[in-house]
Amino acid sequence: MTSAVLSPEAPAVIARRRPQARAAYLIGAISIGVIAIMGAPIVLSALASVKTAADASAAPPHYLPTALSFENYAKVTRFQAGLATYVGNSALVAAIAIAACLAIAAPAGYGLARFALRGKEVAFLVLLAPIMIPYQAILTPLYLDFAKVGLVNTHLGLAVVHTILQLPFSVFLMRSSFEAIPREIEEAAVIDGCSTWQRLTRVFLPLTIPGLVTVALFAFINSWNEFLAALIFMNQDTSFTVPILLVSVRAGKFGAVDWGALQASVIISIIPCLAVYLVLQRYYISGLLSGAVK
Amino acid sequence: MTTRTTCGALAALLITSSVFTTAACADSMTMWVRASGTNAAAHLVDLWNSTHSDKIELTTIPDNQMVTKLATGVQAGEVPDLVSFDLIYMPDFMKAGFLTDLTADLKANPNFASVAEAYVDIATYEGKIYGAGFTPDVSILIWNKDLFKKAGLDPDKPPRTIGEIHEDAKKVHALGADTYGFYFSGSCPGCNIFTTSPMMVAAGSKILPANGSDDALTGDGVKQVLETFREMWTEGLVPKSAQADNGANFTALFKSAKIGIQGCGGFLISDLKHDVPDMNFGVTFLPGVKEGHVSAFVGGDVVAIPVGSKHVPLAKAFIAWELTDEAQLEGLAKNNILPSRPALADNKYFAADPRIVTTAKALGVGYVPWVYHFADMVNSDSSPWINMLQRAIFDGDVDGAITEARDKMKAIAGE
Amino acid sequence: MKRTRPSNQWQGWLYVSPALLFVGVFVLIPLFQLVAMSTTDRSLLGGGRFIGLGNYIKIWNDAGFWRALMFTIKYTIVLTPILMVLGFALALLTADNTPLKRLTRTIVFLPVVIGLSSSSLLWFWLFDEQVGLLNKLMTDLHVIAQPMVWFVSADLAFWAVVISITWKVLGFGMVLFIAGIQSIDREIMEAAVVDGAGYWTRVFRIILPLSRRIILLTTLVSAIGSMLAFDQFYIMTSGGPRGQTFTAVYWIYQNSFVSFKLGYGAALSIVLTVIILVFSTLQIALTARSQAR
Repeated sequence: MTSAVLSPEAPAVIARRRPQARAAYLIGAISIGVIAIMGAPIVLSALASVKTAADASAAPPHYLPTALSFENYAKVTRFQAGLATYVGNSALVAAIAIAACLAIAAPAGYGLARFALRGKEVAFLVLLAPIMIPYQAILTPLYLDFAKVGLVNTHLGLAVVHTILQLPFSVFLMRSSFEAIPREIEEAAVIDGCSTWQRLTRVFLPLTIPGLVTVALFAFINSWNEFLAALIFMNQDTSFTVPILLVSVRAGKFGAVDWGALQASVIISIIPCLAVYLVLQRYYISGLLSGAVK
Repeated sequence: MTTRTTCGALAALLITSSVFTTAACADSMTMWVRASGTNAAAHLVDLWNSTHSDKIELTTIPDNQMVTKLATGVQAGEVPDLVSFDLIYMPDFMKAGFLTDLTADLKANPNFASVAEAYVDIATYEGKIYGAGFTPDVSILIWNKDLFKKAGLDPDKPPRTIGEIHEDAKKVHALGADTYGFYFSGSCPGCNIFTTSPMMVAAGSKILPANGSDDALTGDGVKQVLETFREMWTEGLVPKSAQADNGANFTALFKSAKIGIQGCGGFLISDLKHDVPDMNFGVTFLPGVKEGHVSAFVGGDVVAIPVGSKHVPLAKAFIAWELTDEAQLEGLAKNNILPSRPALADNKYFAADPRIVTTAKALGVGYVPWVYHFADMVNSDSSPWINMLQRAIFDGDVDGAITEARDKMKAIAGE
Repeated sequence: MKRTRPSNQWQGWLYVSPALLFVGVFVLIPLFQLVAMSTTDRSLLGGGRFIGLGNYIKIWNDAGFWRALMFTIKYTIVLTPILMVLGFALALLTADNTPLKRLTRTIVFLPVVIGLSSSSLLWFWLFDEQVGLLNKLMTDLHVIAQPMVWFVSADLAFWAVVISITWKVLGFGMVLFIAGIQSIDREIMEAAVVDGAGYWTRVFRIILPLSRRIILLTTLVSAIGSMLAFDQFYIMTSGGPRGQTFTAVYWIYQNSFVSFKLGYGAALSIVLTVIILVFSTLQIALTARSQAR
C-alpha cells in the first residue's frame, strides 16, 4: 500500500486532480526559484572554498574562483591532530548519542502514547524541560558533577550531554509516532495475548521505524554540529570533535575570520550530514506516508 | 593530487612519530594554547619535542573560551600541565589562585632578566611571579608605500604624530573614492585597545584603573586621539563599513590595498608577505600627539603552570627552556615570531626585514595594563571602552563619551 | 483520542521511567545546582558567598537584561510566523513525491544540517559590505546603488539575522508539516474532491485543521528556540550596534563568562527559564485542548 503511494506516478493527494498546465508550470517555476534561493548560499560557499586564501577575502569579491586551489581544505585537514581524529571522535559520540536517544525515547513515547497514565502531561512537560533551559547555563554545574564521577573528557560523557539536548524532541516525536498507530492493531495484539513488552517490540516498533529514523537523523545532525559542550567537556586535542576544529581553524587574531577556511569547514560539516540524510530519506518518506507524525 | 600525497605522507609521519613517542618517551605533558597563539606555540613545541625525550601535546582552545575552560578545569581538577593564554587575564588568574608560583625558578634564571618588562609586570602579583612571556605580539602602525607614492607622499616617511596620520590620510583618500586614508575596526573593542589606546598612551594618557579609587582615562591624550579619529570619520577618510566591523575585517581591507594607514599587530607582516607578496608596506611605532612620543600595546601569550598540573618540574623546565637563546631564536625568530627578550631583536633571521626588527623593538616601548576585569572594562561587546569610542567617533560627543566611560570603568574596577 | 484502555499504571510508568530518570539526573540536578548558585555571588574564578535573593533584586533593576528580553521577544514574535507560514507553504508545495519536489525538499532541508555557528558566519560573510557577495549581487542587479553596511543599524542587523535564520531552519518546519500533511487520510481528501472542493478549500478546511496539532507543537519548539537565541547574534552582530541586539541568553553569557559573574548569570538563567516555562505550559495546555477535540 505504501509503495503504491510512494511511486511518483500515483495520483497526488493534495494537488489538483487534473492540474491545469499553467498551474503546473507555476508550481515548477516556484520550485526552481526556491531551489535557487535556498541553494545559492551553499553553492557560493562551495565555490569560495576552492579559492586561494587571498582570493577568498578579496574586496570586492568574485563569484567564481580565479584559480582552483585546495589550500583551504589542506589547512583544515592538517590542523592539529588531523581531521581523521576529529571525525572519529564525532562519529563515536554521535553513535552513542543516537543509541541513547532511541533507547530512552522509544519506550517513553510508547508509555506516554499507549497507556492512560495519570499525570502524563506533567511527565511530558518534565521531559520537554531541557529545551526550555538556556543550556549554556547548566553546562558549568554539569561539568563539575561529571568531573567527580570521571565522565569528563570521555566520549560517553559528551554523548550524555548531546542526548540531554536531543531527548525532548525525540520523546515528542516518538510519542506522536506511537499515537498514530491505529487502535485496531493493538487490540489484535492484545487478543493474541501479547504482553506490553511484546506489543512494543513485535507490533509497534516495526510500525514506528520512520519515527525512529527521524530521531536518529536529528540526533546525528545535532551531535555532529554541537560545539560548546564538546569544547567544555573534552580536554585534549585528541578527543576534540569536528566543530571545535572548525572554529579553531577559521579564527584569526581579534576575531578576524579566515573566510577560505570557513567555507571549507562549512562544506566539510555538511557532507556527512547530507549523506546520512540522503541514505535515510527512503525510510523517512515511506514512514511519513504511513503517518509517523500526526 | 599533490595535496593528497602530502596528506598521506603527513599522516604516515604522524603515525610513526606517535608510535615512536610512546615507545621512547619518559613522560608526556599536555599544554593548552588559545587559537590565536597556536601557530607560534607550535613552532616552539615542535622544537622542544625534537630535542627532548619528554614530549608536549598541544591542544588548541578557541580564544574566547579559554577563561571558561581554565576556570572550570581548575575547579574540577582537570587541567593541562602548561597553559598559554592572553596575557591580559594574568591578574585575574593570579588573584584567583589558578597558577603555580614560579618566583624562585624565574629569579634564578639569567635569561629572565632580559625579558620585556611588560611581561614581567603583568605576571607579578603581590611580589610573586606566576608566568613568563611566551609568544609575543605587539601593536604597530603600518602604511601602504604604494599608495603613499601615488598620493605624492614620501613612501619612506611614515606619519610621526596623529596629526600627520590625519594629513597623510587626506592625501591618500584623494586618490579616489574607493581608496581610504585610515582604518580601524569600529565595533571591535580588542582591536582598538591594541592599536588605538597606545596612541592615547603615547600622548600622555593613562587608560584603565587598577582599582576603584584609581584614575581612568587621564590627561588630554584620550580626547585628542578621539577628536582626530572623529575628524577623519566625518571627512570620509575611513570607510563606512568600519563602524560595524567587529574585527572580522580587521586586516582584510589593508590586504586589498585600499587603506593608506592603520594600526595593527606584528602578525600582519607575515600574513601580508604570504597573501599579497607584491605589496610594499612599512612598519613604525604607534605615535602620539608630539613627534618622538610613541607607544605600543604588548600582547600575545604568556605561559604558566595551572595549579593541579601533574608534571610541575618538567613544566618548569620547559619554561626555563623557552627563554633560552636557542628557543627564542630557533623556535620563534626563525619563524618570524618575536622573541620575548627585546635584546634579541637584532638577529640573523630578522636582519633581512627591518620591519620585523622595528616590531620586535616595539616590545621595549610598549605598555600593558595591569588590571582585573579587563574583559569587562574593555573586551566585552558592551564595555565602557567600546561605548566610548563609538559615542565619540561616530556620534561626535567626545567629552560626554569620556566622562561616561570613566565612571563605568571605575565602577567595574571597584567590584 | 487514540489511546488504549487503562493498562497497568506501573507498566506504563516503567516505560517512561528511563527518560524521567535521565532528565532527573542530568537536567534537574544541575538545575537545582544552578538555583543554589543563583543565591551566591560566585565568580567564574571561584569563591561565592550566600547572598539570598540579592541577585534577583539586582535583575529587577538590570535595564540591560529587560531590554535584551524585550528584544528577544520581538525577535521571536517576528520570526516564528515567518517560519511557520513559509514552512507550511513549502510543505504544501513539496508534499507530493515528484522528482522536482523531492529535490526542492532536499535543498530546502540542506541548511538544517549545517551547524548554527557555521551558517551564521556564512551569512555574515554574504552580508559583509566588503567581501560579501549579497551586496555585490544586489549592486550588479541594480537593486541598490552602493553596497550596504547591514550591521551598522540595529534594524538592518535584525533583519539580516532573521533572513539567515529563516534560511537555516525553514526546512525543519517544512519536514514536520509534510509529515502532518501526508498522514492525512487519503479517503477524506478524495471525498472532498468528489464533493467538488477546490484546492484552497481543501487546504483551509481539511489540511490546516487536521495538521493543527503538529503546527502548534512545531510553533512551540520553534518559539522556544528563538527565545534562547544566542549564536546567531553573537556571531553576526556581537550585540551591536550599541548593544541594541543583545538577546536574553547573550546577556546571560556576557554576565557569566565575560564578566565572570556566574552567580548572577545563574539567577538570570532561572528567570529566563521560568518565563519560558510559563509560556510553554500555556502553549501545551492549548495543544492538549485542541487534541481533546
